[in-house]
Amino acid sequence: MARIDQATRVLALRALGLAALMLGAAPQTYATSLTVKALQRDGKPLVGAVITAEGVAPALPPAPPIKAIMDQVNLAFVPDVLVLPLHSTVQFPNSDAVSHQVYSFSSARKFQLPLYRGKPYPPVSFEQPGIVTLGCNIHDNMLAYIVVTAAPYFGRTDARGEWSAPNISNGKYRLRVWHPLASEPKDIEQVVDAGAGPDVVEIRLTRNLRPPPLKDRPHSWDY
Amino acid sequence: MRCAALAGALTMAIPAAAADFEIALDVRGVSSDGRQSFLENGQGKLRYDADHEGIQLGRLRAAYDQAFGETFAAHVEASVWDDDDKNPIDLTEAYLEYRPYPRAGFKTRVRLGAFYPPMSLENRALGWETPYTITPSAISSWIGEEIRTVGLEGQIDWLGTRLGHDFDLQLTAAVFGWNDPAGTMVASHGFAFHDRQTLLFGRVGIPQTAPGAPKKELFYEIDDRPGFYVGAQARYLDRAVLNVLHYDNRADPSVFEAEINDFAWLTKFDAAALRVETGNGWTVLVQALDGETYIAPGGFWLEWQFDSQSALVAKRIGAHMLAARYDEFAVKFMDDRNAPGSEDGHAWALAYTIERGDHWRFALEWLEVTSDVRSRPVALGEPALATETKIELSARYTLNGSF
Repeated sequence: MARIDQATRVLALRALGLAALMLGAAPQTYATSLTVKALQRDGKPLVGAVITAEGVAPALPPAPPIKAIMDQVNLAFVPDVLVLPLHSTVQFPNSDAVSHQVYSFSSARKFQLPLYRGKPYPPVSFEQPGIVTLGCNIHDNMLAYIVVTAAPYFGRTDARGEWSAPNISNGKYRLRVWHPLASEPKDIEQVVDAGAGPDVVEIRLTRNLRPPPLKDRPHSWDY
Repeated sequence: MRCAALAGALTMAIPAAAADFEIALDVRGVSSDGRQSFLENGQGKLRYDADHEGIQLGRLRAAYDQAFGETFAAHVEASVWDDDDKNPIDLTEAYLEYRPYPRAGFKTRVRLGAFYPPMSLENRALGWETPYTITPSAISSWIGEEIRTVGLEGQIDWLGTRLGHDFDLQLTAAVFGWNDPAGTMVASHGFAFHDRQTLLFGRVGIPQTAPGAPKKELFYEIDDRPGFYVGAQARYLDRAVLNVLHYDNRADPSVFEAEINDFAWLTKFDAAALRVETGNGWTVLVQALDGETYIAPGGFWLEWQFDSQSALVAKRIGAHMLAARYDEFAVKFMDDRNAPGSEDGHAWALAYTIERGDHWRFALEWLEVTSDVRSRPVALGEPALATETKIELSARYTLNGSF
């Protein structure tokens, strides 16, 4: 979690920089703030949801790529969700004593890292937006997601289910909400007018969340 | 020089062919009033009878996993039971596995060698052990005693949960040999309650009056007719698993093999199991087995029908687990409940287990088996009805690592 928080901070700073740049270049746009409040079906906060805000009018370039790490510790991916701007790279170290064999068959990025321990491989780059589901071919229970986005603004909701972009330029944005446990019939997206509409956009799931993965079962069990 | 550097760099970059090992020593303290065990030519239902109390070797186990290239791996499980088997150390499983990368939502696995069919949702821990109790259910005890796939198994999984669905589905099919004696134990001593898995080259005693009588060899090909099984599994997220299996060793029951002094036993069974786990540590596991086995000496068919049902409830609180299990079992010879060769009974088990760090596990189990075995008066001059109780403490130390 610490790692993703750090990545989010770095991105927030970059986003601020980008906004400042755009303010200078286009005097007719103004900085405003946008807050998304994500709720579960029963009204409880939706914690850890991935929010992306893509510029519709005007269209905005993706955030600058980052270098991220998806570690493998105690037969689990750490973190369980990574959000990345387009063209970012991810290193997949294995901190366990046993070997892992990481794969994805998701259309956004198919790849496989042959059986390894330590850090033998160069980072993997992500060139297409979408959800990349990660697995280990040895340990079927290992599961994590990488969300690759072309949006300039993105992040994950906090304990109150909120995510804010404090300083973004006015305009129309396509908001997308994704959560690993959501089972909505279709993608959750909504176009909002930053600067003209309400400051806080509330998005509520229409279906209950799936039960979260079971924790603390001994590793020596077969799942 | 450059070549050497390049070769060096390549060697550094290529991951080593991984090998993992595990060694586990399980020592028991036993208090038992069990009748003479089936392992000692008796008709008792327990592994440790009243003559085998005190400190016992539960199991000494060594497992070895070796990867070959990217998609092949060998898995070998060796065990010592310390009960005068043919070989002091022997194998319970040994197979080569082919596991290509999942593609487009499908995962395939092929196993070649000797292994368990995928049917016990109870014996889910390493070494085909149950994590809930020391002694597995009647069903798993029987599988460990008589059943082993020596052959080829293919498995295909649809990984629905990786595609945004709530379910995964699995189909399994296998062709095997060397399991023609399967059925001889359930016919001769019925069901039993024990964690002693028969070794691939080992022998197991059956009830008989002659003290030095030969023991049975269970993994032997007699009639050159391959058997098969097919199975299916459905999983709801990581919360519930439903497993079904149909097994038929297709043995020709009229064939007698003098080498092991036994017939080819034609054995068929259906097994089903459902396991549900909740977010607050509860596990509910129900199992059912229904089958029949035949021999046909001189063309005269002898039939034993056998069935068992089991229900287990366990609650995990951190490193602690409490489990309670109830089993019912019955064998019916020639459709006559009262014939020698028939039996019925039930059993209760209560167990407490605690994991201490990565290496230690302690377990305490109380097991009571009540059985009405119709051959006891005829063959052994004992009363047919017996209630056997055992209290067992297990201390297990596990060490694992990699090369």
